[in-house]
Amino acid sequence: MVVDDEPQIRRALRTSLEAHGYEVVTVGTGQEGVLGAAELSLDLVLLDLGLPDMDGTDVIRRIRAFSDVPVIILSVRETQLDKVKALDAGADDFVTKPFGMEELLARARAAMRRAQPDEAAPALLTFGALEVDLARRLVSTGGNPVHLTPTEYGLLEAFVTNQGKLLTHQWLLRRVWGQGYGTETSYLRTYVRTLRKKLGDDAAAPELITTEPGVGYRWIGETSTAPQ
Amino acid sequence: MRITGRVEQFLQSSPNPSWVRAGAIGVSAALLATLVALPFARTGVEAAIPFYLLAVVVASTGGGLRSGLVAAVVSSIGITFIFAPPRFQLHVDRVEDVLSSGVFIVVALVVGLLVARSADMRERATHRERDARLLGYLATKLLSGERLEQVLHDVAAALLEPFDLAACRIFATLDGHEIRSEALRSGPTLEAGAFVEAPIMIGGVTLGMVTAVRSVGMRPFSSSDRELLEAAARQIALAVERARLDARVRGVQLEAETNELRAALFSSVTHDLRTPLASIKAGVTSLLTGTVHDAEQQRELLTTVLEETDRLNRVVGNLMDLARVRAGALVPAREATDIEEVVLAVVARMQPQLAGVVIRLRLRPSLPEVFVDPVQLDQVLTNVIENAALHSPPGGEVTLSAASYRDAVEIRIADQGPGISPADRQRVFEAFYRGGAEPERPGTGLGLAIAQAIVVAHGGRIWIDGAPGGGAVVAFELPVAGERSA
Repeated sequence: MVVDDEPQIRRALRTSLEAHGYEVVTVGTGQEGVLGAAELSLDLVLLDLGLPDMDGTDVIRRIRAFSDVPVIILSVRETQLDKVKALDAGADDFVTKPFGMEELLARARAAMRRAQPDEAAPALLTFGALEVDLARRLVSTGGNPVHLTPTEYGLLEAFVTNQGKLLTHQWLLRRVWGQGYGTETSYLRTYVRTLRKKLGDDAAAPELITTEPGVGYRWIGETSTAPQ
Repeated sequence: MRITGRVEQFLQSSPNPSWVRAGAIGVSAALLATLVALPFARTGVEAAIPFYLLAVVVASTGGGLRSGLVAAVVSSIGITFIFAPPRFQLHVDRVEDVLSSGVFIVVALVVGLLVARSADMRERATHRERDARLLGYLATKLLSGERLEQVLHDVAAALLEPFDLAACRIFATLDGHEIRSEALRSGPTLEAGAFVEAPIMIGGVTLGMVTAVRSVGMRPFSSSDRELLEAAARQIALAVERARLDARVRGVQLEAETNELRAALFSSVTHDLRTPLASIKAGVTSLLTGTVHDAEQQRELLTTVLEETDRLNRVVGNLMDLARVRAGALVPAREATDIEEVVLAVVARMQPQLAGVVIRLRLRPSLPEVFVDPVQLDQVLTNVIENAALHSPPGGEVTLSAASYRDAVEIRIADQGPGISPADRQRVFEAFYRGGAEPERPGTGLGLAIAQAIVVAHGGRIWIDGAPGGGAVVAFELPVAGERSA
């Protein structure tokens, strides 16, 4: 479902998405968007934050009250605060307008994949040379074991179980450190830096973790098919 | 200091001491002289006179003219009664003793008069010095260009000491907006006693009031106090007027700048927005009419459309940012930020745009955190690096270095392009300025203007240097995160 008040955007998205084999419903208001999410069985919601009738963040909150459908925000250069608010309200990702269809489709696929995990989620994840064994809590690169502290492992686990998703500072702090945390971004920064170093990821040309300054981090490592 | 204060207070209170006090001083001085001179009583008047003269001088110095007079009268009685034979009678035998007494009284009067006058003059000089110092302070303070609230607060505090006030209140209106300042003497709370008010007036209009309050039991306000307070009020009136004019000038300047920006916007909108639009429209109409059949040509047209869309997007984004920065709407959400992390994120994101150049990072290890808005820092870096890449020859190096100096971190981005002549180094930060020689550069002419606006909004500075190899260096400084961010 596409929720956007601009008919041109709705038309462009409908045409492009249908060309890729998706069934598309388009609506122009937040109210219709919330109703649509309740009544239709949706795989994905593309939501514009600047709707005429409701604040986009409220639309996400209303949808999240009853549905876990993946929501991708289509934003027009909103401030970082708006993005963080939308993500913390339950959005899965955001794509800045104007966007290329390829980028949007990749994000959409990633969000839908996360929403429907395989019945037997693999306990062993492989990203190029990196192997993460979630069952045994073991990590190795190129066959050499990587020693991580419990916090570092917790952070890595948060990343690899939310692949492709933009994780806000606050979300990561709460998930890894606990409910009482949320503003200690410098802890998080230090741990992300150490984790990158231990995993051999270069922040200037990242293959595993990207930084979204002021917002959060995203795991971009691509799962490769696990060797036999 | 404490002692000097007391002496001053003593001197200040001398012009109008009550007769009782003046009399007490005079009588005690004369009695003291009598006691000291008693052992020489038998020698006669000649021995006693120096002691009595001393008493008159001391009394005049300490208690003013009245004390001197009282001392002289008591002394002459003492001379007649105790020292002039026949002793213990108010009657004098010898003519020389009568003469001596007479001369003594005249000398005592003259000495008393002179001493009292010099004391009075000294006191006046002290007052004048105090007044001059106060008015001098006010003049400097009022012209300091600080915020009016701050100025009034400091002035109120400065008036306390020289006027011996318990409290000083200043109330002023500036463009319909009221400013109140109050300064209280520290220490135990005093009961408010005498007070004077002086209006703050400009061109016959009362803009406010200065109220000076002394505590109960302190001396009342003299006319010179009042005059000085009125002078202070006139100075304050000038400060209020200045603040009002300053605000108006700022408004006019802002308006002029906005107009200039608007004019520049209009002239550049034509070029910067219509050029990509023209390419897009040309490409799309060619494709729609179906005249371009060659797949390669179709692809080329579509690539142009895509590139021009991106360019248009950049121009619009930059224009919006500039407008927001200029309107003061882009308030930095500052936090302790790791420069390295932001630099690396920007470089990672800009990989596609940086394909034509080699980027080198020279970041000092363990740089301190800076107190900035990370998203805006990202934007500054993006704009400056983009600018460096645009002016680089193919395969040229763009070097980004960062180092900390005292309480700032300096970031330098050097390219190997043609460089910027010293004459143009300020102008590159103007909106829509592009190195005049190459007007068709794909930049928007806004990147550095935005970078400058953001850096300045963070209390930093940005400038251009020449690179040793002939290229340009854009350098900027950002404040290090201190206790403010903790």
